[in-house]
Amino acid sequence: MFKHLFKLIWNKKSQNFLLLIEILVSFMVVFLLSSSVVYYMINYQKPMGMDYKPVWMIQYNNELPTKNTDSIVMFYDAVKQHIASFPEVAEVSFSGNNIPFSSSFSSTDISNKGVKYERISNFRVEDDFIKVWSMNLKEGRWFNAGDRIYKDRPIVINESLKKKMFGDAPATGQLISNKEEESKWRVIGVVEDVKDESDFSPVMDGMYLRIDTGTFKWLSTITLKVNSNADAAFESRLSKYLSNTFKNSSIEIAHLEDMRKEKNRSKAMPVVIFMIVAGFLIINVALGIFGVLWYNINKRKSEIGLRRAIGATGNTVSIQLVSESLLLATLSLILGVFFAVQFPLLHVFDMPSNVYFIAIGIAIIFIYLLVFICSLYPGKQAAGIHPAIALHEE
Amino acid sequence: MLKNYFKIAIAVLKRRKFFTFISLFGISFTLTILMVASAFLDKMINTNYPDYKRDRSLYITTVTLKSSKEGWMNRSGLSFHLINRYISTLKIPEKIAFFSSGQIINSFVHNQKISIEFKFTDANFWDVLDYRFLEGKPYTAAQINAAEHVAVISEKLKAAYFGADTEAVGKYIEADNIKYRVSGVFKNVSSLSHHFSGDMYLPYTVAKSDYKKVELMGPFRVILLAKSASDVPKMRAEYDQMVRKVPTGHKEFDVHTVPADSGLENYTREFSGGEQSAVGKLIIILSILVLVFLLLPTINLININITRIMERSSEIGVRKAFGASSKTLVVQFLVENIILTGIGGILGVIFSLLVLYGLNHSEFMSGVDLSFNFVVLSCSIIACLFFGLLSGVYPAYKMSKMNIVKALKA
Repeated sequence: MFKHLFKLIWNKKSQNFLLLIEILVSFMVVFLLSSSVVYYMINYQKPMGMDYKPVWMIQYNNELPTKNTDSIVMFYDAVKQHIASFPEVAEVSFSGNNIPFSSSFSSTDISNKGVKYERISNFRVEDDFIKVWSMNLKEGRWFNAGDRIYKDRPIVINESLKKKMFGDAPATGQLISNKEEESKWRVIGVVEDVKDESDFSPVMDGMYLRIDTGTFKWLSTITLKVNSNADAAFESRLSKYLSNTFKNSSIEIAHLEDMRKEKNRSKAMPVVIFMIVAGFLIINVALGIFGVLWYNINKRKSEIGLRRAIGATGNTVSIQLVSESLLLATLSLILGVFFAVQFPLLHVFDMPSNVYFIAIGIAIIFIYLLVFICSLYPGKQAAGIHPAIALHEE
Repeated sequence: MLKNYFKIAIAVLKRRKFFTFISLFGISFTLTILMVASAFLDKMINTNYPDYKRDRSLYITTVTLKSSKEGWMNRSGLSFHLINRYISTLKIPEKIAFFSSGQIINSFVHNQKISIEFKFTDANFWDVLDYRFLEGKPYTAAQINAAEHVAVISEKLKAAYFGADTEAVGKYIEADNIKYRVSGVFKNVSSLSHHFSGDMYLPYTVAKSDYKKVELMGPFRVILLAKSASDVPKMRAEYDQMVRKVPTGHKEFDVHTVPADSGLENYTREFSGGEQSAVGKLIIILSILVLVFLLLPTINLININITRIMERSSEIGVRKAFGASSKTLVVQFLVENIILTGIGGILGVIFSLLVLYGLNHSEFMSGVDLSFNFVVLSCSIIACLFFGLLSGVYPAYKMSKMNIVKALKA
């Protein structure tokens, strides 16, 4: 059966060749699209690891009137106390510029026992940071006032970094070091992974360091958790207070919910555009395949009539025609899978390889379905051909 | 002759409506996507409101400091010091304007929050760029020197703050706890405009932070405007010579680059994030994308065309039997095909007008203000011809090779 079908395809090789290429290219398009969608969906299903909804961010320029560390610390303490005294505010924490959903990003390379770990998202935080963001502690403890004095600087890492470094063994109490292996940090706790880029982004390895008084003069971000009674009127009062306090600075207050939406939008936009374009391409291709198959089958009326005359049922004929097109699709899919498998092997995009394999599966099913549907109607039509009329035409 | 071909083409189109639909659908949607994409590119890259003098402008937007020993690098805009002390000494530029990168502040009206993107500028900014003023006028150099709290705002901000129908000039707008008197309202700039979108412009002298610091890095970007386009190379040479002598004022960061670019170079530099401007790279990437994108519809069209042509084998057989050469037939088929793509092209233009209208009025992308213009149109005409020829050549060739007897028999 297969041998026979293959022969039929081979006899029309020049015509089938174009069809083959068309199916191949559509496979690649569907494959690329579904790999990005699968990747997004896998990331989307992971928990956020925090509650961003009640969080606001304040950004200011760090041009303080004094450069004296002690007076800066005093000034910041006063600011923090004042903000915390608003009844609408639940928690306040200063932080580095790298916070979830913000446009700035800071990363560090670190090493543990000679193994280097690159691009670790580096968060600078205060003791109340964990409460502002409602993050979950998995192991050990978060920073407290006692961490001001230390022999090895305390550090908190996130779960995925811990898994990479220590596997299932506890991380608390372990020493890790920076890239040059100069300074040592002692792990005091592990927090649940926080999805901080967008809903569709992967969790990055992360580390948290406590802001020490020496770096206070570089700060320019405050994060706060507000109660449900915080409205625009409160925001206006807060803004007024802040502009009176940071005299040389302009103040931006943003809601994390809005920042998340913006990030999601910019992350989803290219995929949505790609999806629309690919959708039109596929409709185009489907119509094309349909038309060509229909025409080809119409041209083979005499062959089909002959088969009917010597006893083939309508069903066998349409099965033959459909399986002929499916065989053609299989040929292009074999070629397509060969190309698609190069993506995980060569790490073309920064995605885990199981994403590609799921995407290959989806694309194969999609192409088969497409070809099947496109050949169903022409096949049915062929089955309806009356042998006497078909043979008479000849 | 052509009239005949045209008649035949229309007759053929009418004969197999389904195939006609597939071809037209494929051509018109592909063109629509190409045209919308080029409308975006045009808005981002080409000369546009308010930046009309691009051919005689150079843009200086980044200072990169490097430590040749450690390999550290730091990049930011230009400082007032660099502009005032060094760049303003240039002789060739007719005008030198500068403006800061945008910052967001909040303003509250009737307990409603408005986010405002504001920028600081000098007075030349308003001469170099042709903002269209709906009300009032820009602030003057005298007002800047006096550090007056005046603002020029966009139509959009005016509508949000004062309401669309009221006069705004002379009224006060409060942002960051400071009241600014509105001196002018300008027509909105597309949010895709590279440097010149923004809601509020203020004199640089009212900036809260100290702008007079002696260092190279700061918030500003500079436009050098030459008297004519032919003066630009001279201006660039003068600038390059001057900037090489500027000391970095840093011990660790001993090397600096402050490039002056043409509009496109500047755009690709920021697009690639690199030190080299990447015009060539951009063109290569774009053409590869377009080719890949065109591949699928083209193969599809070839497939359909072959099918259609085989259907007409008896007609071709008759013509051949009466002495038409292969060449005539190929030309006829190509012309027919170009007529088909032409009709698809017209449909494509109509669709893209609809899509552009939809995009301009959608919430999804606010203020993109895309327009359909000559560049976009010529892109689409080229794409049409490309389509018509490419998808016609192979089927026509196949047809011309057809055996007369076989063709007549079918």
